[in-house]
Amino acid sequence: MTDLVEVEAQKKAEGFVERINQLRQQIGRVIVGNEEVVDGVITCLLAGSHCLLEGVPGLGKTMLVRTLAEALSLSFSRIQFTPDLMPADIIGTTVIDETAGGKPIFEFRKGPVFAHVVLADEVNRATPKTQSALLEAMQEHRVTVGRTTHAIEEPYLVLATQNPLEMEGTYPLPEAQLDRFFFKLHVPFPGREELHTIIERTTTRYQAEVQRVLSREEILAMHQLVRTVPVARHVQDFAVRLLQATHPEHPSAPAKVRRFVRTGASPRGAQAMLLAARIRALLHERFAASLDDVRHVAPPALRHRILLNFEGEAEGIRTDQVISDLLAELPEVQP
Amino acid sequence: MDPRQRELRQLVRAAQRAALRLRLNETVARSARLLPWPLLYATAGLTYLKIGRPPETAQTWLWWGWLLPWLVVLLGTVHCWWRRRPREMGALALDRHHGFQDRVTNALAFLALPEGQRTVFMKLAVADAQAHAAQLKPRRAAPMCWPQELWLVGFLLAGLGGLAVLEVRTLRWLPVPPAPAPVLLAHDDIELFRKLSQRMQDQSQDPETLAGVHKLNQLLEDLAERRLDRAEVFRRLAELERQVQSRSKEDQASLAEALQSVARELEHSGLSRRVARALQQRRLDDAEKALRELAEKLKKQRTRPSAAELEKLRQSLKKASQATQGRSKRLEAERRRLAEQRKSLLRKKREGRLTPHEEQVLRDTERRLDRLDRKKRTADRTREHLSDLDRKLGQAAEDLRRELGQAAADLESAAEDLNRLARNPMSQEEKEELLRRLRELKELLRQQGQGGNKRLQRLQRFAERARGRSGQSGQRGQERGRGKNRDELWQSGKGQGDRALVLGGGTSEQLGREPSGQREKPKSPGSPSDAREPGTGHNEDLRGDRSELGGKAHDVTAAGIDTGDGTASSQVIMGAAQRGFAGHGYRQVFQDYQTVAEEVMGQEKIPPGYRFYVQRYFQLIRPRE
Repeated sequence: MTDLVEVEAQKKAEGFVERINQLRQQIGRVIVGNEEVVDGVITCLLAGSHCLLEGVPGLGKTMLVRTLAEALSLSFSRIQFTPDLMPADIIGTTVIDETAGGKPIFEFRKGPVFAHVVLADEVNRATPKTQSALLEAMQEHRVTVGRTTHAIEEPYLVLATQNPLEMEGTYPLPEAQLDRFFFKLHVPFPGREELHTIIERTTTRYQAEVQRVLSREEILAMHQLVRTVPVARHVQDFAVRLLQATHPEHPSAPAKVRRFVRTGASPRGAQAMLLAARIRALLHERFAASLDDVRHVAPPALRHRILLNFEGEAEGIRTDQVISDLLAELPEVQP
Repeated sequence: MDPRQRELRQLVRAAQRAALRLRLNETVARSARLLPWPLLYATAGLTYLKIGRPPETAQTWLWWGWLLPWLVVLLGTVHCWWRRRPREMGALALDRHHGFQDRVTNALAFLALPEGQRTVFMKLAVADAQAHAAQLKPRRAAPMCWPQELWLVGFLLAGLGGLAVLEVRTLRWLPVPPAPAPVLLAHDDIELFRKLSQRMQDQSQDPETLAGVHKLNQLLEDLAERRLDRAEVFRRLAELERQVQSRSKEDQASLAEALQSVARELEHSGLSRRVARALQQRRLDDAEKALRELAEKLKKQRTRPSAAELEKLRQSLKKASQATQGRSKRLEAERRRLAEQRKSLLRKKREGRLTPHEEQVLRDTERRLDRLDRKKRTADRTREHLSDLDRKLGQAAEDLRRELGQAAADLESAAEDLNRLARNPMSQEEKEELLRRLRELKELLRQQGQGGNKRLQRLQRFAERARGRSGQSGQRGQERGRGKNRDELWQSGKGQGDRALVLGGGTSEQLGREPSGQREKPKSPGSPSDAREPGTGHNEDLRGDRSELGGKAHDVTAAGIDTGDGTASSQVIMGAAQRGFAGHGYRQVFQDYQTVAEEVMGQEKIPPGYRFYVQRYFQLIRPRE
């Protein structure tokens, strides 16, 4: 009996890997390279959380999200954040409508956040008020308008993008909002060969067709499956110690953290690392998360959660440097 | 065993072995890091020892101090070995080496959980790790690494070895040991004792005495060479005295015992009873006399004893002749018995079977054997000394059967032996003289020790003058002797009374001879002077008046007249005072006066201290060559 359960579980795991590979494959038809970003986005999808994509314009961030949404049997909406965007523009508004009998009624018209996959483009261009409107939806998966709360159907994935170049006229995302993103992914500039491929695909009549490979139910089932992947005590301990070391006041914090970091990551950072490690382990056909998995997911999980102080910003220190130093100094296991 | 179980065991064992190897590696590395410290200390310490040559206390501290860095090494090594390490250490090393992505580590972590707590995925993770169990290589995952510090350790060891064999020669000024204060005896006195010792050596035949004289010669030699200090000299003198006395006493006792045993046998016969009693009381002269009377009795027909008496006498004489030998034999038998006993006890001791009581018995036996050996040696000497007497008594016993006359002659010969024994009982006198000389030497050294260097210098000057090597003494003597005018009379003593030695000056040889009429006659017996004229006679009574201890001085007046008949004693004495104590004439005069002085000292009661000074005086004025 037990063996049967194990066999079934193994099959599920194998099926999981196969489906995700198919998803990758579909995305790969449109998006050139950026495997890590794609994996990051898929991880966020499987974690049931949200992702912040940062990169210069024209790197295919929006394309990626759109392609992902096409590959999944999920609804997709795109919000272009502008400085004049109002909260009602994203969450919806109540309008007066008439019934069939002509009776006027108030009807809530759902905003673009009520899709399964929401692309919040250039989210740092909107005002904080508008940004915070997205906050509740991202965190609670529901929107409250007046006295009515409107749930957002699962799975719910918000993929926000922001442009690092245009600092004027932008509103940096507050820490509270940043903390709600599961990952922050840097979209790198493509390499030479990738550029060739991009140009060939986008300047010709090449039209990739993306097939739907995952249904909503499958995604929800995957959500459950990834949470059954075990994490050994020493791996969890490593993630916890890593989190603690990001806080400058903690005894285990290295010198660089003490010098350049204002605030360390919140416990959401540890949650993100461990969930992402589980997902990664499963994607690599393993049945338990490893220390390497935690190491791998630590940068996207923590980089937006560590805030540098003035000296750090003045020195041009990047949070990725702090995280890599931490990973190098922190012992993997402790007695 | 179930394959799954086997794989699980492999997993566990591989992880344990890897962990052990990692622990060992770390410990070796720690030891290698700490080892240079004691070696550096040793290098520095050895350098200091070689060059600085510190005192022993500092060296001891240095050696003890070397323990400290070793203690640090030991503690550091022990701490590193026993330090708490993560449980997953070995498994992680395996995962890293084989690229298993923590499969082994996770599997072991899940296996540590109770069965009920393991989820499906945990079991799958364990199964996944088991599948790779056979590939695990702890040796490669945790290879033994030689720490780099071992090079330094090797280098330091080599340096230490080189330093140890290196010899650094340094000059060290050693304090000159203080030379023992030599006992200074005047050369003159050493010569005196050498001559005395030579005389004893020439006169004595007793080996014990000769041995004692030889030791005395050695002592005098060392004194002359100034090799000995005061304590050593007195120690050797005391030892020599003790040896001579003990030997002397032993021989005396042995002789007495032998004569007692002879006397016991002679007492059985009525004829020899008188001899026996005299011998028992150690009156050798009376024993000799009694023996001679017995011989006379045997010779004369009328006083000849009966046959029965003769037979008894014969048996007594025979047994008496064998008495000394019998004693030696008894001693020998006893000695043999003790030797056997000692031998068996020693054998037991070698075999380890000796009890404490037997050990005590062994020690007692050895002591008794020593005493018996000494007794036997003394008995043998006694037997040797009495051999003639024994032989003659035995001969007399034999001759009593045949020829009484011959027996009488034998008894007379035995009497002569008794006479010889009385005169020279085993060279007792020689030993006594040696003892006397030793005591004189001791007293002389004691006196000179009290006097100090100045006294010694005075003695040395005196010795030079005694040999006639200094002109000063002669002049001084002349001045004293002459007074203002050479022809003036000398007066010694009080001068006013009728007892004064008046010596005239000039070259008259007769000067100094007292006219018999003016001289007060001494009380001691002596032949009256037969001088025809004043100054020509000679009174053989040289002793003069008896010494008066009351301290009164007798002044004697004597006037010598030059008769031209040779050098007078007084002239000789005066000449000696001026020119030294040399010459045949002085020797004659000295011998005369010394003989008298010794006789007087032997007869009169003179305190030992006074005796010493008189002896010393004559020693100092003795003739020199």
